[in-house]
Amino acid sequence: MTENKNDINRRHFLRSSLWAAGLTGLGAAAGFLSRKTHARNTVWQIDPEICVACGNCATYCVLEESAVKCVHAHAICGYCRICFGFFGPEPADINEAAENQLCPTGAIIRKYMKDDHPYYEYTIDEPLCMGCGKCVLGCNTFGNGSLFLQVRHDRCLNCNECSIAAACPSGAYKRVPADKPYLLKKVDTVRNSETDQTHLSKKEKRMISKKARRFSNGVDSA
Amino acid sequence: MKTRLGTTNIKILVAVFIAIAIGVVAIVKLDTTGKKGSGLGEEFTYDLEKLGIIDPNLILYKEPAPAIDTGFSESQSIAVAPDGSIYIAGDKAIRFFAESGNLLGEIKLADMPMCLTVAGDGKIYVGMKDHVEIYDGQGKRLATWQNLGNDAVLTSIDVSKNDVFVADAGNRIVYHFNTTGNLINRIGGKDKDKKISGFFIPSPHFDLAIGNDGLLRVANPGNHRIEAYTSEGDLEFSWGTFSNVNIEGFCGCCNPVNFAILADKSFVTCEKGLVRVKIYDQDGVFTGVVAGSKQLTGKAGRICSTPAECQSRAFDVAVDAHERIFVLDTNKNVVRIFTKIKEE
Repeated sequence: MTENKNDINRRHFLRSSLWAAGLTGLGAAAGFLSRKTHARNTVWQIDPEICVACGNCATYCVLEESAVKCVHAHAICGYCRICFGFFGPEPADINEAAENQLCPTGAIIRKYMKDDHPYYEYTIDEPLCMGCGKCVLGCNTFGNGSLFLQVRHDRCLNCNECSIAAACPSGAYKRVPADKPYLLKKVDTVRNSETDQTHLSKKEKRMISKKARRFSNGVDSA
Repeated sequence: MKTRLGTTNIKILVAVFIAIAIGVVAIVKLDTTGKKGSGLGEEFTYDLEKLGIIDPNLILYKEPAPAIDTGFSESQSIAVAPDGSIYIAGDKAIRFFAESGNLLGEIKLADMPMCLTVAGDGKIYVGMKDHVEIYDGQGKRLATWQNLGNDAVLTSIDVSKNDVFVADAGNRIVYHFNTTGNLINRIGGKDKDKKISGFFIPSPHFDLAIGNDGLLRVANPGNHRIEAYTSEGDLEFSWGTFSNVNIEGFCGCCNPVNFAILADKSFVTCEKGLVRVKIYDQDGVFTGVVAGSKQLTGKAGRICSTPAECQSRAFDVAVDAHERIFVLDTNKNVVRIFTKIKEE
């Protein structure tokens, strides 16, 4: 009698487990399908006005080589002879020798433009770029901020939960419409070469500033 | 049978417990929030802290009084009038203050002023984006000069008894007007015969000032130089070099962004990137520092975190007859006044 009771209990246990597993699977499938439908219309992108170029993009992507790359807005570039997106903070000389370059992978190409002025064009060698954002820091600090990071959609897997977004200290990752997948910097016509933050509210700007400062302080003290 | 069933249930429980333990360890160990940093090596860090440190022995000025709050949310330019009043351009207005910081008056403008200067007769010359406007001390508009075109971005203006010079960063040229607004000359355009290579202006910072010797001084920030021109547009000489490492040089891609000339003909220069205000003698020899990044911003290295902070306007400088130096902090929209430390 006791054995029979135990048999029923075991059967119940297995049946209940199967039911629970089945229901969980069904729920997960429904959730996955609904997220998939949602994801089909939007993709991940970095808001360049919020990005603090912390370096996490290079290491948190699920891809071995990050989907994030540096892009260059030539319209707001100063075409500087001494560009600190290209040169390290203490260049031994102003030439393209590897030791003078800021980019650890040599992914920025500097090309002299034929003109009486010493203008130089800077382009990104994408296969070499790993999205560390070091050049972005240099360009933002000394230049016009024409170098910035973007998720490249020829590479991005558009994961439902982007691991870089989760690790982004400034909350720069956004879902954007798939038909407009890039957030590019704009030229401010009055100030000639500055970034456009007009789409952000004062509260958002304050929040970004606060987050970024906290992040910077963390890095400084590390 | 009972024993076998009990053993099976225990096995399932142990498996569940192990799975939960692995999950907990994974959650604790995995850095899904990025708080542990990128994990990139030292070659990926960008640190300007060392470059921003200034030898205290080089600092020749002190800041004895609290800063003057302009009340602007966006300040652009500073000028000191011959009577010592401090004029600030910002937020579609000009505000003028006494040395004590008391607001003396305000002139409302139709648009954002880019630069200003106050003439000896008290007239206020205001550079708007593409034209010049002139006001009297009561705020009455006396004249509006010709529009200089869509590309014009006027960034600096200075006036002498008969001449008005205006720097246009958009067209990379200096306009020479007379005081009635007639254009006399364009200065600084590329001219091989005159050996003028032209102005290299990567960002909208392009300053000028009339020197005490009568020559016009113009910053050529892309070449890290200050150039001296006659009013006819002949380039007489220039000085200045690039260096991020040596304090004697101008740092970054394009500096100095602003400068002023003291009564003893020496220069007060202002740099962006590594924010610092320095003194050079009349021949361009570095003599000392007014204030570095640490004094001006509280940070020795990078002073900005967000792109918006980094791309905010550069600080501006002005001087008065008593060798005081007025620094317009365009981030905090305050005026900081520095006086020379007396030699003991």
